[in-house]
Amino acid sequence: MVDLSVNLNGFKLQNPIMTASGTYGYADEYDDFIDVSKLGAIVTKAISIEPKKGNSGERLFETYGGMINRIGLENLGIEEFISKKLPILKEKNINYVMNLAGSTVEDYIKAAEIAQSAGIKAIEVNVSCPNVKQGCLEFGTNPNSLGHLTSEIRKIYKGFLIIKLTPNVSDIESLAKSAEDNGADCISAINTLKGLGVKVEITPDKKIKKTFVQGGLSGRCIKPVALSMVKRIKAVVNIPIIGIGGIANIEDILEFLTVGADAIQIGTENFCHPDITIKLINELTKIIESLNLESLDELKRKLRDE
Amino acid sequence: MKKNHIGKIEYNKEIAKDTYKLVISSDVKEIKAGQFISIYCENKTLRRPFSVADFKDGDITVLYKLKGDGTHYIKNLNENDKIDFLAPLGNTFNFENVNSALLIGAGIGIAPMLFLKKELDKNGIKNHLISGFKDALEVVEGSNQVVIGGSVLDEIENAVEKIKPDIIYSCGPSIVLKLVSEFGIKNNIKTQIAMEKVMACGIGVCRGCIIELKNGKNASVCKDGPVFLGDAVQW
Repeated sequence: MVDLSVNLNGFKLQNPIMTASGTYGYADEYDDFIDVSKLGAIVTKAISIEPKKGNSGERLFETYGGMINRIGLENLGIEEFISKKLPILKEKNINYVMNLAGSTVEDYIKAAEIAQSAGIKAIEVNVSCPNVKQGCLEFGTNPNSLGHLTSEIRKIYKGFLIIKLTPNVSDIESLAKSAEDNGADCISAINTLKGLGVKVEITPDKKIKKTFVQGGLSGRCIKPVALSMVKRIKAVVNIPIIGIGGIANIEDILEFLTVGADAIQIGTENFCHPDITIKLINELTKIIESLNLESLDELKRKLRDE
Repeated sequence: MKKNHIGKIEYNKEIAKDTYKLVISSDVKEIKAGQFISIYCENKTLRRPFSVADFKDGDITVLYKLKGDGTHYIKNLNENDKIDFLAPLGNTFNFENVNSALLIGAGIGIAPMLFLKKELDKNGIKNHLISGFKDALEVVEGSNQVVIGGSVLDEIENAVEKIKPDIIYSCGPSIVLKLVSEFGIKNNIKTQIAMEKVMACGIGVCRGCIIELKNGKNASVCKDGPVFLGDAVQW
């Protein structure tokens, strides 16, 4: 029996396959396709203190090898999550991480307090949100503001604290380090890349019709960026790393494990193949068996040492 | 229950200009008018959603218009090829307590109207289907009345007078659905419209295909829809 379990600094997963925020709902939404309780953990859609309606207009744009979204953090708000979704997660024994989003440090503090009192074991902090008090620059682009945010959350929240880094920076190392130094238990990387989808059509009456969708690029096309970021982060931190970005098959998982990921999240690929997570858990087991190894930990060592 | 199915292509041919009919045999138990399936297209990030035009004993009929990479991929599939799709997705048209219905299909929007017409016929509900096409070569058979080149909307008033519908059902471009909904409000006739949007997950999770309702709430076309009450949609 192959042991796929992962112990991320105290937060235990039965296997390293998680699902990325925004692609998997809040709880058992994929239950028609797979037994969600078999996953390492799901990460909820980003949740804010108040419910959010998100952006109006077109929200999606398919690109070569990926897609751009500008959902605008539409979500049901933390209270409804706790009253309606948390009971489902508990009843169905689904391991989960609550993803948090906010516009001010106070928002995150308040959310962390609620998470703490609701007994939520793990949170992932989305730091790609604009900080409205600091000129709407994203929290995750400046090591000082990221460090401040992390330490403020850390003071309140005693559970497993994951900081999800944005790739839209030039110096990922200093951000990862800042998260670690200020109390993060784990880093997940990467969030979406900033991208612009443009469509130019010539109408039958010879007019130009333009469509623009500015948002976050995800999907297979971002994998090389994600691999590079994970490798660079691994070089500077000692806390575990969850790799995210364009993972769609077992080879991708091996690549992420090789460069330093301890677990991985599947995002955009869930849309196309809603059962991809379970397939990859099975394939990972087979790979480990084929190498005559007994555990994921042994596989990681082999991938990194040889 | 929605599931990931692997079906077999029984038929995939052009039936009108740039318009194809695809028949898939499958183990799907039930699909109702208004619902859709989403087809996996190799090398594309997202599946492609298609309204169902007919369903019988596991055989699913879909009509599609050649448009982009996705439909070109499907066009090149052959009989007996396997095809991967999610089904059944979305909600259905409702015809409870309907005695007389007017159906309006614009362009490829005729697809779910044909399925609905069949269900109405089966239930003995009087109905009349008007469909509109840009040119005569695009006409898909099955309508009671075809409009070519003009607007299907021009025919609504006459048809309403003639068949006195309790409800108007429609599918087509957003502008047609908006006008049908407005006509319904003005003339105090209920409307149900099937909407189209770019989708990612197809099951209400990603919130990519959102429309706004008059009650201020968001609704996903893929899960809360694709069928909406015309007077509930905020245009």
